Amino acid sequence: MSAYLELQGIRKQFGNTNVLNHVDLQIREGELVTLLGPSGCGKSTLLRCIAGLTEIDGGQILLEQKDIVNLAPRNREIGMVFQSYALFPNLTVSENIQYGMKMRGASKGERRNRSEELLALIDLEDKRDAYPQHLSGGQQQRVALARSLAIQPKVLLLDEPLSALDAKIRKNLRTEIRDIQKKFNMTTIFVTHDQEEALILSDRVCLMNKGSIVQQGTPEELYTTPRTEFVARFMGSYNVLTKPEVLRLFERVDSTAESFAIRPESFILLNEEGRNEALYAGKRIVDGNVHAVSILGNIIRYEIDAAGVRLTIDVLNDGRSHRIGDRGAVSLALDDSQLLHLEKEGA
Amino acid sequence: METRVRKTGLTHKLLMFVLMIYLLIPLLATFLYAFAKEWQTTVLPERWTVGWFSEMFQDIRFLDALWTSLYLCSISVALSLVIMLPAVFIITVYLPKWESFMKGIVVLPYAVPGVVAAVGLIRAYSSGPIEIAGTAYILIGAYFIVILPYMYQGIHNSLLTVSAVELLGSAELLGATRIKAFVSVILPNIWPGVMTSTLLSFSVLFGEFVLTNMLVGGHIQTIQVYLYQRVGESGHLASAIAISYFIFILVLSMILMKLGKRMNRGIEG
Repeated sequence: MSAYLELQGIRKQFGNTNVLNHVDLQIREGELVTLLGPSGCGKSTLLRCIAGLTEIDGGQILLEQKDIVNLAPRNREIGMVFQSYALFPNLTVSENIQYGMKMRGASKGERRNRSEELLALIDLEDKRDAYPQHLSGGQQQRVALARSLAIQPKVLLLDEPLSALDAKIRKNLRTEIRDIQKKFNMTTIFVTHDQEEALILSDRVCLMNKGSIVQQGTPEELYTTPRTEFVARFMGSYNVLTKPEVLRLFERVDSTAESFAIRPESFILLNEEGRNEALYAGKRIVDGNVHAVSILGNIIRYEIDAAGVRLTIDVLNDGRSHRIGDRGAVSLALDDSQLLHLEKEGA
Repeated sequence: METRVRKTGLTHKLLMFVLMIYLLIPLLATFLYAFAKEWQTTVLPERWTVGWFSEMFQDIRFLDALWTSLYLCSISVALSLVIMLPAVFIITVYLPKWESFMKGIVVLPYAVPGVVAAVGLIRAYSSGPIEIAGTAYILIGAYFIVILPYMYQGIHNSLLTVSAVELLGSAELLGATRIKAFVSVILPNIWPGVMTSTLLSFSVLFGEFVLTNMLVGGHIQTIQVYLYQRVGESGHLASAIAISYFIFILVLSMILMKLGKRMNRGIEG
């Protein structure tokens, strides 16, 4: 299937700083792609470039095979939800939703019907005559989403839409966003710096750093096979190890790679009896000392010093796990098949 | 503890009372003097009159001065609004790099004393291609500069308060042209702030004397120049003018405060 939205070699500079370095990205129709990355990596700038709110210095943006770079934002048929929602304070909720349709010359009846449909969708029918400043953050966010959908855009851009909300509302809203996106089969680009949000919401995650997409793939691909140290560190609490550290833990390693990653949940903590169990046959057993323990709800996170290497190890907090107190001695079962060989940054 | 709190409250009230007395006594004295026919050896005037107000309103020079002040201030403020509103909008939204330059420019009226500015302006515009010294034009130009800080800061802050850049982007993406977005979204939201700046600027200009007197004092009589001239003739009449002027500014300030409150309500939600 050909790309619905295609970015080819997008470049953008602010002064002498390269904010976007030849970014290439292809998005299929109905796909939800997340641009994930730390602050200042260029993800919001890329979104604004697609919307036409920031001019690009080079490259092409093709929507349904047509270059839209020279089109004004109003002619791109792109909807956008801003981090601050950008609702018009002088207009009611209903007028906000109808604004785009009014600008596009829709009749009054058509506008009213569509507005009512969308108000029902976001469950805010009783707030149609309220002004944005009288709504909660979550309600404002839903109105902003409805307003963008009202113009039936070809692509929907969401710029950190949940970052200003508290954790509980954020969880509910991200499910709502995903449901609405699927209902309308809306091609969507979602910007966030929260890796958990990206993994939960997306069909595909593009991890950005210093103005480039450093790795992209399904949430599972990105989480289980980080290619570089940056990806490994950003996507989770991976243990990133140097070659000498890996040699101390595993004795030998058949790789030319200089750095390695191993997921915190791929270690097995053993008690005395466990050392001899058949389950751990073929695995290397290493002794260590617990440096710190923290409870993260359903996970217990241990910081363990083993063979002179500080490791982060996650164990399911199911009441059956081997519980170890602070500073206790412990043995670890290591499996070298879990060891990921990382490429050099920029390779 | 309770006694201490009560004592502190009493001290505050007493201090406020003394302050109010200090501020209001001159005003009250002026007010009484404006209505006094005879007032020499008594605490309160011996005889009352509205004659000074009647004389003031019958004096064609007063009405002329009032009208002159009104139209000069109105033209200056309107001119400033027409030029500054789009200029500040463009700088804030499209050319934010110029903001530091603009901030430097708008504080200049504070940096240059009125007398120095007046002498400089008279010298610059007494001869040469733009010979406007002593005319209303030079005064309008000078007034434009005087209110620059109020207009710039008011409009700029209003634009920042409503996140004009994002509102504009949002409106454009929804299908509005830039002009349509400005008129339908930006302007209604910054209007209370713009009105506040406008009224503040108007009040400042209405009370301006030094620059006016030096630039056009001999040719054009504003209310302040008129007041200055009549003070020497009759203290009663000068008091009547001052009280009328005070009431006018009071009404303007009340409108300004009302607008300010409405703006805050909108922002706070």
